[in-house]
Amino acid sequence: MTIIQVFDPALCCSTGVCGVDVDQQLVGFSADIDWAKQKGAQIERFNLAQQPMEFAQNTIVKAYLERSGVEALPLILVDGEVALAGRYPSRAELSRWADLVISEEKPKSGCCDGNSSCS
Amino acid sequence: MTALRFLEQPPRFLFFTGKGGVGKTSVACATAIMLTTVGRRVLLVSTDPASNVGQVFGVPIGNQITLISAVPNLSALEIDPQAAAQSYRDRIVGPIRGILPEAVVKSIEEQLSGACTTEIAAFDEFTSLLIDSPLTADYEHIIFDTAPTGHTIRLLQLPGAWSHFLEEGKGDASCLGPLAGLEKQRSQYKAAVDALANPLRSRLVLVARAQQATLREVARTHEELASIGLSQQYLVINGIFPEEDVAHDRLATAIFTREQNAMATMSKVLKSLPCDRIELKPFNLVGLDALRKLFTPVLSTHSATDTSTSAIETPSLSKLVDEIAKDQKGLVMLMGKGGVGKTTLAATVAVELALRGLSVHLTTSDPAAHLSDTLQGALANLTVSRIDPQAETERYRETILATKGAQLDAQGRALLEEDLRSPCTEEIAVFQAFSRVIREAGHKFVVMDTAPTGHTLLLLDATGAYHREVSRQMAGSEVHFLTPMMQLQDPKQTKVLLVTLAETTPVLEAANLQADLRRAGIEPWAWVINNSVAAATVHSPLLRQRAENELQKIEAVATVHSKRYAVVPLLENEPIGLERLHELANN
Repeated sequence: MTIIQVFDPALCCSTGVCGVDVDQQLVGFSADIDWAKQKGAQIERFNLAQQPMEFAQNTIVKAYLERSGVEALPLILVDGEVALAGRYPSRAELSRWADLVISEEKPKSGCCDGNSSCS
Repeated sequence: MTALRFLEQPPRFLFFTGKGGVGKTSVACATAIMLTTVGRRVLLVSTDPASNVGQVFGVPIGNQITLISAVPNLSALEIDPQAAAQSYRDRIVGPIRGILPEAVVKSIEEQLSGACTTEIAAFDEFTSLLIDSPLTADYEHIIFDTAPTGHTIRLLQLPGAWSHFLEEGKGDASCLGPLAGLEKQRSQYKAAVDALANPLRSRLVLVARAQQATLREVARTHEELASIGLSQQYLVINGIFPEEDVAHDRLATAIFTREQNAMATMSKVLKSLPCDRIELKPFNLVGLDALRKLFTPVLSTHSATDTSTSAIETPSLSKLVDEIAKDQKGLVMLMGKGGVGKTTLAATVAVELALRGLSVHLTTSDPAAHLSDTLQGALANLTVSRIDPQAETERYRETILATKGAQLDAQGRALLEEDLRSPCTEEIAVFQAFSRVIREAGHKFVVMDTAPTGHTLLLLDATGAYHREVSRQMAGSEVHFLTPMMQLQDPKQTKVLLVTLAETTPVLEAANLQADLRRAGIEPWAWVINNSVAAATVHSPLLRQRAENELQKIEAVATVHSKRYAVVPLLENEPIGLERLHELANN
């Protein structure tokens, strides 16, 4: 099974609600992760402020930090390889990596909207 | 020796709580000494961020259990939130220093320097003392000289709130900062809560003075703590004026009558508690000898000669207000150890400014302060408000859910709601309310009665963290920005009045606070000495002795500590109501 690893910058907590200002992106991304996990995706999140050893022990992440610095986080690895850097993935990207079906709830009125089949 | 009820068959844990300045530390220290004299091994713990237990025993204590050599069988520990947070930071950062780039290490340290890390790290140490551990196994009694009321209540409520937070399992545990990933802490909190609620193991001693406002507050504390399970409570009324020392002195008679009246009219709940009364002593409670004598009545120093001591000439608070008024607007903050009368003096400054025709907003961030009780009246250009941590936290949660959470689906919203229940949000919410108040001072006077020392410093720390955050984001851009911290550092915009009493410990603590503020780049504008007996005319021997003791302290404040100062006399009547507050400033 695909493992998605998210290496966050130093955060007070993963939604950012404990910080002096709440970052909209973090709130949205935390919700997306929760959604993807409920769908069975395997996602791990590491906070630089709380689990720095995870950063130090992963050669890819360590090298990335040395080259680009903390400003360049987050870094997302899929099965140990860099999948995205410098921004958080969208729900669609998470689904693609984890092979999730993104929309099983269809609007009642309509028919299919493209790639999924009406059932 | 009179038998004191709170010392009868003491359980293992003894907590002393009460408003600052009522003598908690003295009573806690005297209790510790007392128990060691009957052969018990005692650990005395202060959870006050501005602890002075070390000063009482004349040895530096700090974050380690320290043997008090002058008192056999006694050890002491000061839980210092800053040091606890530092050791937590070292634990996290130590292993990666030199492995990850320096800038990365710095960003971690910065993130871990907030108020929340501090609070949680200190709390973690507190609970570790309530559970069975080899560290404390040797002690038959652990005595907690707790932090001032509001903070204590929060601290004591946390075990319940947090084990709940962890049990839910939905919330993001990383929101617990230092406790992240340590769900095993859950059993520690459960054990701590159980120990607190068990009367065979814990006894709570409410310490008060015989003043109406203090007793009302103690009644509130009693109910709040009883509601979280600390049912076995005792009451100690400290510093009662002894009848035989009244000696035809008007001020002494007034104090005596006022105190007896306050005790006679205290609430039924308080009257039902086992109660001990300790008399006012003519000496300062510093040093072992003084502490050993605290629980023993002193023989009155009746002198046959009918002499009196006249009030000394001192600058009045009104003079300081004249100078403040010249600026037409700004923030006036009253700071100092709890119980020195910040609320009363903040109300006085606000009333005096309002009487000079200026527009004033009087506010408090002390969860235990009650401005309306002090003012008992209204003035046209004076508004009064209160930063209520609970209400602010609720407001903050609602705002975040309505803005940042607006786009989320039901599930995402539920997750955000869970995270917002993290104990850290309260600190942020109070800080935001504080920032609003600071902004308001740009166009009128805002007089702020701050929370007790330690909490105020945590708040300022949050202000500092915000300042660093904004500065970093703004670095390189041409945008003009003004953070709350910059406003606090500008004497044109902010005037800090340090409030103290003319006694050894309060003066020392105010001086320490002044040093802390200076490190944060804030220069206190003036000192105010409250409740001065020397500034009143007295002839009761006990009061004369106390007035005599004060002179040296007033001298030190005037010449060493302050740029400008004022002395507010001890009045015959409790300074409540607009008229008496006005009298206080102009005596």
